[in-house]
Formats: sequence, C-alpha cells, structure tokens
Amino acid sequence: MRFLRDLRKYWDYTKQSAKAELKAEVASSYLNWLWWILDPLLFMMVYTFISEVVFGRGGKFFPAFVLIGLTIWNFFNRIVQGSVKLVKKNSAIVSKVYLPKFILIIQKIMVNGVKMFISFILIIFLMIFLRVPVTYNILFIIPILLELLIISFGIGNLMLHFGVFVEDLQNVMKVVMKLVFYMSGVFYSITDRVPAPYNELMMVFNPSAFLMSSARKCMIYGETPDLKVLLIWGIVGVLISVIALKVVYKYENSYVKVI
Amino acid sequence: MEDREIAIDVKDLRISYRCLKAFSIRRSLLHLKKSKTEIYEAVRGVSFQVPKGEILGMVGKNGSGKSTMLRAIAGIFSPDSGEIDLHGNTVSLLSIGVGFQKGLTGRENILLSGMLLGFSQEQVREKMDEIIAFAGLGKFIDMPVKTYSSGMHSKLAFSITAVLESDIMLIDEVLSVGDARFKKKSSRKMRQLISDKDRTVVIVSHNSETLRKLCTSLIWLHDGEIRMMGETKEVLKAYEEFMS
Repeated sequence: MRFLRDLRKYWDYTKQSAKAELKAEVASSYLNWLWWILDPLLFMMVYTFISEVVFGRGGKFFPAFVLIGLTIWNFFNRIVQGSVKLVKKNSAIVSKVYLPKFILIIQKIMVNGVKMFISFILIIFLMIFLRVPVTYNILFIIPILLELLIISFGIGNLMLHFGVFVEDLQNVMKVVMKLVFYMSGVFYSITDRVPAPYNELMMVFNPSAFLMSSARKCMIYGETPDLKVLLIWGIVGVLISVIALKVVYKYENSYVKVI
Repeated sequence: MEDREIAIDVKDLRISYRCLKAFSIRRSLLHLKKSKTEIYEAVRGVSFQVPKGEILGMVGKNGSGKSTMLRAIAGIFSPDSGEIDLHGNTVSLLSIGVGFQKGLTGRENILLSGMLLGFSQEQVREKMDEIIAFAGLGKFIDMPVKTYSSGMHSKLAFSITAVLESDIMLIDEVLSVGDARFKKKSSRKMRQLISDKDRTVVIVSHNSETLRKLCTSLIWLHDGEIRMMGETKEVLKAYEEFMS
C-alpha cells in the first residue's frame, strides 16, 4: 500500500520535523516546556472552579474527570482545527518539493501526542493525589487512545483537503468545534445532566464525547467502556481515514496550484 | 542526438489550472449561479527528452509555462495528461527562496530540507558542516530562519541544494544570489556542478548571456507549446529577434 510505503519513507523526516517544532515552541516562550504542564492544569482548575463553585455541581473525582476530558479534547481539537490551514501554512515547503500531504498530519499528531503524553502523566499524579482506586479496566485506555488517533487522522485529512479549496472553512470549523466542545461534556457528565433519550444519542454519535467518557470510565470509575460502540467507532475511524487518504492522494498535487 | 542514456523523458505533457480557485462559502452563497469554471492551460502537449549530462535551457516570455514545467518535473504538480519519466534519478528544484520553516533554526532547516530532498539523516549530517561553511552565515545558522535577511535566506537555500547533489538539478532564475562575494562563489560552484558529466541540468532564465555560456541546447516555450528546440545559438537568435 502506498500509504505504508510513504509513511516508512518519510518517517524520519516526520520525527525530525516534530522534534524541531517542539523545540522551537520551547525556545520561543518564556516558561517554555512548563506550559505543556501548566496549560492543561490551569484549564482544569478553571472548569473545576466554574462547575463546583459557580454551578455547585461536581462529581466524584471531579478534577481528574475534567483533566481527562480536557486532555482528549485538546488532542482532537488541535488536530482537527490545525489541519484546516495546514497546507497553506507549509506552502513554503509544499511548493518546493514533493511531500505526501498526510505526512503533515502525522507530524501534527506527533507534536500533539507528546503534549497529550505529558497531560496523561499529570492525570496519573492527580489520580494518586485523589486516591482513585484503579482496576484492570484501565488497560482499555490503549484501544481508546488508538481510536482517538485514527479518528483524528481521518478527520484531519478531510479538513486538510477541504481547507485548501474552501477559504472560510476555518471560520466555520471554529464555530462547529465550539459546539462539539460543549456537546462533549468536558466539564459535565452528559449521562447525568442531559435528559434521557438525548444523552445516549449525544454520547454515541459524538466520537469525542464517547472517547472521553470511555476514558473516564476505565481510568477513574473502574468500569468497562461500551465495547460495541468502541468497535463501531474503530471501524468508522478506519473507514474515514481510508476515504480521506484516497481523496488527499488524488488531489494533493493540485493543492499547490491553488495556494 | 547521440545514443546516450536519457535522464528526463517528457511525453505530451499537459498541465492546466482548472476550477481550482479557492472559493469562499459566503461568496458562493451570494452568487448562487454557478460561476464559470475557468480553464487555463499552462503547458499544452510538450514532449522532449534530455540525455544524461545535458544542460538544457528554457526560454520564453512570462507566463509561457516554464516554471510550471519545472515544477512538474520536480514532482510537485501532477500533469493533467502525459507523462514524465525521470528513470529513477533524484531531482531537486533550485529556485529563489527555497522553502524553510520560519520558526526553526538554519541548522534544523538544513536537516529537514535535506531529508525532504530524499537524503537520509546520516547523509545530511555528514554534509552539514560543508553546507554551513558554504553558506557562511556565521552565528545566524543557529537562529530561527525568520530573523534572516532575504540574502541570507537565498544563500542558505542555494548552499543546501548545491552541496547535497542530486542527479537532476532544476534551476529557476537563481544565478544571482546574495552579495557580490557570494555571487562569485555560487556561480563558480554552479559551474562546477553543471559541468559534472553525470548531472543533468535544466535552467530557466531570461538572461541570454548565462544561457549562451552554460547550455548545450535550448527549448523556446511560447504559450505552453514548444516553438523551437535545438542548438543554443540558433534558438537564442530566433528568440531574441522575436522579442525585440
């Protein structure tokens, strides 16, 4: 398959490029890598404060609940929104040398994957601090994260493609992703707060909501996530990725003519 | 042409820019009538072969499809129809302002550009010092590229492609890079690269003097078609007569 061949061929480049981007990010800010810890931590505090103090509704292990939600959301959101203008942002490279365009997404996934990893270390510390009981169910986090990666990759590729041709996709996506954010239950529990038939629907049809709640289930509540839905989203994710890859491969050479 | 190995094989190449204009949702809502799709054919059925080691020049007025053709040969565009066969040779496009990632340092950009040109990490690291020495940017090499002046930018770009040698070099109006000193150095290096018997070179230029000095044969493109192809002297003479 061409995808695997290209992935192998450009793997080293992708790794170096991700490393360089992370390094540049560190070098250009004053608190440098501390931000990778502070950013999720501070936002976790903001949402915990708003929910518990302002609205008076928290939940069991609420800070960990919020931090897991935020971590998954940040990854998903950064890939999807970041992909829209990705070709234009890299026009300097793309117009000078051939590069399979999905590599740009893989690079983004690596960069944000590192940040997500740090965020997960924070989650573990927070869980120890809150004395969350852990069960073997925590191992389900592996397929959940894998699925998050595949779905983000697929949607990211679609965004990359349409972002080249549709100028104002960025504005549209900003609004759409804001809506998805509030519908994902980053800082509230959909199951408890949304009335009956709707909460199920919101949970099943929104991958970020589903993955978030599954991650919480297996990490802090010691439950098994809904395996049937997990499997279906896995299949859907692969399908989206395959279709998106086909589209990107077919049109990627004309991107340069537009930008 | 003598019986030599062919390095670049272009067959009936056609490239058009078609309905690929980016559109905005607001605009398309306001004008519900479908706007006519404009088709602009930049290259219309061009075929030629370049034997290995040949230095081919391309002339033509602005918008005649020269740069488009170079990019197609470099693999950045796909042709709409026709074929380009490079027979497995590595290719690099040398043009004013090679692409860098602005936030990264010169050193990191050398590594990344080199890897994109198809070299392995080790190969680039091996040549790293040579590239840095040739570019002569001093301490700027460890600063982000966004702090570079345009001259430094093109010096670095030139050094990368010049030191990391590829089998086929495509040159787009690059023979004047940097200050007088670097210009001398670069044109000497260029001549050395070009005169390598195994290297195939395609040069696009408006400068008749350079073309006359460097090229072994010339293609004159006019509105996306080959108007004339042959010995440098003859083509250049006809072209100059046409342009004046």
